[in-house]
Amino acid sequence: MSSFEVRKQKERLFLMGIGSLTFLALLPLFHIIATVFRNGLPVIIKEGLNFLTGTFSNGGIGPAIIGTFTLTFLASLLGLPIAFLVGLYAYEFPRSTVGRWTKMLLQIMIEFPTILVGVFVMQVLVVPMGTYSAFAGALALAIILMPYVAIYTHEAMREIPFTYREAGYSLGLTRIKVLLKILAPMTKRGIFTGVLIGVAKVAGETAPLLFTAGGLYESYPSSVTKPIGSISLLIYQLVQSPSPADHEMAWGASLILLIVFLGIFIPIRLSLKEVKL
Amino acid sequence: MKGTLATLLVLVIAVSLFASGCISSNGQDQTPTQSNSNPEKSLVTIRTTGATFPQYQVQKWIEAYMKSNPNVKIEYEGGGSGHGQDAFLKGITHIGRTDPPVKESTWKKFLETGDQPLQFPWIVGAVVIAYNVPGVDELKLDGETLAKIFMGEIEYWDDPAIKSLNPNVQLPNKKIIVIHRSDSSGTTAVFTTYLTLVSKEWAEKVGAGKTVDWPVDKLGRGIGGKGNPGVVQALKSTEYSIAYTELSFAIEENLKVVALKNKAGNFVKPTDETIKAAVAAVKFFIPDPTEGYKEDSAQLMNAPGENAYPIIAFTHALVWQNKGGKHYTKEEAEAIKDFLRWVLTEGQKPENIAPGYVGLPPEVAQIGLKAIEMIQTG
Repeated sequence: MSSFEVRKQKERLFLMGIGSLTFLALLPLFHIIATVFRNGLPVIIKEGLNFLTGTFSNGGIGPAIIGTFTLTFLASLLGLPIAFLVGLYAYEFPRSTVGRWTKMLLQIMIEFPTILVGVFVMQVLVVPMGTYSAFAGALALAIILMPYVAIYTHEAMREIPFTYREAGYSLGLTRIKVLLKILAPMTKRGIFTGVLIGVAKVAGETAPLLFTAGGLYESYPSSVTKPIGSISLLIYQLVQSPSPADHEMAWGASLILLIVFLGIFIPIRLSLKEVKL
Repeated sequence: MKGTLATLLVLVIAVSLFASGCISSNGQDQTPTQSNSNPEKSLVTIRTTGATFPQYQVQKWIEAYMKSNPNVKIEYEGGGSGHGQDAFLKGITHIGRTDPPVKESTWKKFLETGDQPLQFPWIVGAVVIAYNVPGVDELKLDGETLAKIFMGEIEYWDDPAIKSLNPNVQLPNKKIIVIHRSDSSGTTAVFTTYLTLVSKEWAEKVGAGKTVDWPVDKLGRGIGGKGNPGVVQALKSTEYSIAYTELSFAIEENLKVVALKNKAGNFVKPTDETIKAAVAAVKFFIPDPTEGYKEDSAQLMNAPGENAYPIIAFTHALVWQNKGGKHYTKEEAEAIKDFLRWVLTEGQKPENIAPGYVGLPPEVAQIGLKAIEMIQTG
């Protein structure tokens, strides 16, 4: 065999190795999706539309679905604008004391145990208000969402070559205009990836809601100052029960949660196009 | 600036439209049902928080009660006994649930709010010893042997101590795998309290608590499971293992359970009858609802009585007397009273009892009914 042939063989072997390892890494993901569909689909088919709109004792998870959407929306409303500005600030003033501290704090926040966020919000909001509330749940989620968005914003901005900034300045633009009109639009993709990961993450969170949202499954939420449910919280509650009927319902709810998650993730991910530099 | 802001705005609006679309479409579904049930009375939502041990039972009560009372919505929330007491103290739930009776220090904190707390048992359950030994369908154990197994001193299934209790059973020469809860749990507290009662050695070396330092873990023969479902899963997938869990799980999962030797010296399996016998034997220890428990739950265990199952657990409800409308509105207080009265009368009937739980004897239910009458509506 010529040395070229040997190298060719080596390459093939290597590619096969990488391919099978990638497959192994992805296997659990597909297994999860397949299991959730296999166990959840029959439940939803059996219950039909009632599963999506009915209250808990009528065999449906309607209030929980609305709860998850409401909480995710409120958390985005609270968290995204602040997180975006914080990310910009940390990028623009990397050497200032506040900038350095902001960046470090963001990195700590991203690793912070989410249950503690829930306990914190319970102490500062739930106890004084005397009730669980959608607002408290959304605040806890927003605290979890913010570091993701801020760090992604920051990292995305850093990837833009410095020459663009110089060009902006040479045109006579002010600092803020360079930042918001030239650099931010160029990093759209990176920022939205952060937004996406953050939103998708909080849509499935359970721990921060345990002591803040309270849960509401027998009636639809009516106010942000009243308790609210969420799909993940309901699943957590259902799997603790010895009743097989509760477990079935949890599988159905898991499938809905998976669909909600993929429904948020895939369309936005696909619609994000690379910005040409 | 405009570009980014615009895209951000579009995203936020899109999400909000999506969400509000869902809300309003469901809101339309909801309006007619609301107006259907609204004419006489407005909706009252009652929240109950805490112990997960009675979850199956409480959910069953809620479902049955709401069928006949459509204008009362009862929200079940878990979180465990500790969370139940805490949420009750802070007034963020209406009915607290706790497995172990409230400790005196916590009871004092309740009283500091200026309102009178009321505590009473509302359902009984049992902790059972389940095992997975192929070929063995009947197993008898006494407290001391059980403690030795969980301490790791008895290593094999055909140990003389087990053999002498089960002379007619073919026991395999296999190592015993002990499965226990890995998380903090009221079930563990009940089980270890029982072991401290029946084994001095256990009391000295391990003790009782929501989590304990399992000696079998150090011997490499212990497995931890998260929650009762985790324990059951581990038991089913591990041959020659033994575990403790709640009766409801043993029934739903069809587990083989141990017949335990009680104080009178008889071997009893956990059944409706044996648990009721145990309740009847210890009912004098249940204090007045306004008192709180002065001693811990140990005196409610290992009950005397020919036919009494030794490891039973009461689970308790906590409500406020509502002096001067401090905790509940008039509508809420009325709904709470009605619901609890229903639970302690209709709810204790066999058709409303979930598998694995045992209804209270009328004398014990009376303790709770007395408490309910004390709740002030305004």
